[in-house]
Amino acid sequence: MLTIKGLEVRYGAITAVRGVDLEIRKGEIVALLGANGAGKSTIARSIAGLLPFQGEIAFEGERLTPGTAEKNLRRGIALVPEGRGILARMTVHENLLMGIYTRSDKSAAMADVDKMLERFPILGKRRDGLASLLSGGEQQMLAIGRALLSKPKLLLLDEPSLGLAPLMTASLFSMIAQFRDEGLTVLLVEQKARQTLKIVDRAYLLETGRVVTSGSAEALINDPTLSEAFLGGTH
Amino acid sequence: MLIQQLVNGLTLGAVYTLLALSFSLVMGILGILNLAIAELFMIGGYLGFTLITAGFPLPVAVLGGMLGAAAIAIAIEKIGYQPLRDAPLVTPMLSTLGFSIILQNVATNIWGSDPAQLPDEYFGKQYALGPINIGEMQLIVLVATVVLVAVVAYIVQKTPMGRALRAVAENREVARILGVSADRLTMLAFILSGSLAGVAGVLIALHYGTITPYLGVEIGLKAIAVMVIGGTRQIWGALVAGPLIGIAEVLTVAYGGSQVRDFVVYGFMILILLLRPQGLLGGARSDQGQRV
Ligand SMILES: Nc1ncnc2c1ncn2[C@@H]1O[C@H](COP(=O)(O)OP(=O)(O)O)[C@@H](O)[C@H]1O
Ligand SMILES: [Mg+2]
Repeated sequence: MLTIKGLEVRYGAITAVRGVDLEIRKGEIVALLGANGAGKSTIARSIAGLLPFQGEIAFEGERLTPGTAEKNLRRGIALVPEGRGILARMTVHENLLMGIYTRSDKSAAMADVDKMLERFPILGKRRDGLASLLSGGEQQMLAIGRALLSKPKLLLLDEPSLGLAPLMTASLFSMIAQFRDEGLTVLLVEQKARQTLKIVDRAYLLETGRVVTSGSAEALINDPTLSEAFLGGTH
Repeated sequence: MLIQQLVNGLTLGAVYTLLALSFSLVMGILGILNLAIAELFMIGGYLGFTLITAGFPLPVAVLGGMLGAAAIAIAIEKIGYQPLRDAPLVTPMLSTLGFSIILQNVATNIWGSDPAQLPDEYFGKQYALGPINIGEMQLIVLVATVVLVAVVAYIVQKTPMGRALRAVAENREVARILGVSADRLTMLAFILSGSLAGVAGVLIALHYGTITPYLGVEIGLKAIAVMVIGGTRQIWGALVAGPLIGIAEVLTVAYGGSQVRDFVVYGFMILILLLRPQGLLGGARSDQGQRV
């Protein structure tokens, strides 16, 4: 579904991503792991069309032009950015309505918004309140719900668990695991490697802009590179 | 004759409100002051004036002023803003300053620098409401302002396009990942803002019954003050600040003389910048356009 070859991204003099190859097949949940500053967000944002890049990103066989975020969403790539990207000055309902901005089946889309408010009852209760008044976990639900409303084929989640309490993180991860049953393909960017590997099919480990290890979740959870570099020792 | 002054101030204030909204539509989204709006207002006035004296009815004159101003707004966006959108904020602002001086020059060349007068038979009717005299055009200005503010409020608050405008204003990048083309919405903001300025120009020109190429500078700058005083984030800011400033101005002239007329308006603006930069009703600081 998504094929990345020789991806290179620079911010001025800094090269944040150096020659990354990555593959996501339809229906998979793939993790992109790495410490702070490894280049995870840069990759996610390049796929979403927010950054200029070199190399090749192809989605469903078509090469993506750098920096065409609006088009990429219409192709079926939705990003939930790091920090959630909630529109704080809008209500919960208005945020969800922004999720159907590109949909042409308006009446079905409006019905989907209502279903989303039922799927996340907390959001339903706060429907007409400002999104900025939600808790961190609720905002994450809103951001994911909003992204789902565009009916994406590929969902990019950039550190959704950031700043969430452990219980909230656990329920978030079990929700993401269920996306597989809905036929969604997911790229999950995370630092919490151990928890992430429990729900994903495959993972890539990133270090200073390069992929250092990749493979199936079962293989990686026992991989010494990953344990030392990242999980902080094995158990 | 205090009540009469209040009505006159209210009419003037209504036009300030329209023009302040026109400024804040662009300001709120791009963080830049489109100074040429003042001249779009003036040219809208001339277009309306010309159409009325050529015998067209008022709605045609209003439409003409609106479309003319919107067309120029499109040109300003394409030539004066689009190529400079990644430059520091002051750059596109200077380019709109260039546009406004050129537009003023064009108007002087077409219509001359002497005031154009509307013959008395147009909109000369007066209605007496108890002690107050209200002119026909005054009534039209007030009603049109209420209608236009309601229309703009509806567009911004309730339509997908308005939500997209607000999304771009709050966070351009988030708007983009939701599929909003920031470039298209920027153009839309210019068109909406230009249309509003054009209509306001027709209304005030017909209300005064006279117009000069300097109308834009005179009233446009005050509308900027009204925008600052009301704040840019909410439409209600301009709705409150416009009449407030209009009435304050008329009362100052009536009781203090015309030599102090602008002290109050601009003094109040400076006071707001010092004490409450987010405007009376809150919202974003209007002196700090964020490049979102
Ligand atoms: N806007 C930016 N300007 C300059 N450098 C940046 C910018 N964003 C990220 N970087 C740098 O790029 C590298 C990768 O960042 P990022 O992709 O955000 O990493 P991660 O998401 O893995 O924490 C870091 O060194 C970071 O400092
Ligand atoms: Mg990151």
